[in-house]
Amino acid sequence: MSHETPVLSARKRERLGSRYARRVRDAGNLPAVVYGHKQDPVSISMDAKETLGHIYKGVKLFSLDIEGEEQIVLLKDLQYDYLGTNIMHMDFARVDLTERVNVRVPLHLIGDAEGLKTSGALLISGIAEIELECLVTNLPEFIEVDISGLDVGDPMTAGKVQLPLDTMVLLTDPETLVANIVIQAAEETDEEAQVAGAEGSEPEVLTQKKDEADSE
Amino acid sequence: MALMPKRVKHRKEFRRARDRKATKGNYVAFGDFGLQALEGAWLSARSIEAGRIAATHYLKRDGKMFIRVFPDKPVSKKPLETRMGKGKADVDYWAARVKPGTILYELAGVSETRAREAMARVANKMPVRCRFVQRRITV
Repeated sequence: MSHETPVLSARKRERLGSRYARRVRDAGNLPAVVYGHKQDPVSISMDAKETLGHIYKGVKLFSLDIEGEEQIVLLKDLQYDYLGTNIMHMDFARVDLTERVNVRVPLHLIGDAEGLKTSGALLISGIAEIELECLVTNLPEFIEVDISGLDVGDPMTAGKVQLPLDTMVLLTDPETLVANIVIQAAEETDEEAQVAGAEGSEPEVLTQKKDEADSE
Repeated sequence: MALMPKRVKHRKEFRRARDRKATKGNYVAFGDFGLQALEGAWLSARSIEAGRIAATHYLKRDGKMFIRVFPDKPVSKKPLETRMGKGKADVDYWAARVKPGTILYELAGVSETRAREAMARVANKMPVRCRFVQRRITV
């Protein structure tokens, strides 16, 4: 659970657009936008190294000092470059510390599943994060899911995940698969059957059929 | 055997541009680890199958592999010693359009060390430069 809200200083961006955003990045900063609470959105730039250091640690709640005006903001979105290596832009939403917000929290699977001792058993992970509604001050950085009791035919679903606090509300469909143990042999034969089905013959041409019907 | 579509709207298609960057299919979505293309290419169905076999042989059917590209583009080729003209040639092979950033394969249920080794073997079969990637941070 993260109670700390790192204070980050930001400056307003006067010139907008991809050209100026690129110049911001070249100067070692990151472009971002702050919106919400029925106020006008503000385009800002922040120090890239400091901000990314917090984001990579899993921090989502920040205190932004925008040219002397302090605001509590929640990280809402990250934009990556086409290779997914660098963060190009961030979205922040204004929040109050008493507000309940919807957040996506990563799941960390811990423990050695019982079912993996069976020969040919394979752990298949489903969703990597779940959506929660909770107080801004109670934002978890991650949720640990103990899968040591997981067995074949008894999948771990989102509804079975133990939430850190009772006040948290699960928004993800409770039936969504988080982790499952399957027996490998059955999986493999399905795949081979699919591939075998695709081999050989030419694909059916939809427009060719139509032409032939017209000529008749 | 190689993959190909079950049905298509047209038998042959134009070559089209191949120099764009990937804006979709460019992050690990199903597995834990992935192989990302750093260059653009038409990845033939044979190459895709070769990559799958290379990984399966190394992993000895351990883990689950996801193939993120599908060869849905017909590539035609004129026979040797044929004069130009006389219409577009027959389809030679089926290819997947790969742009820089496209995730080609994903792996789940194996350790990072084994996944790296498997993906290195797969990358050797690919006609493009590739790199090993993991799931990225989302909010």
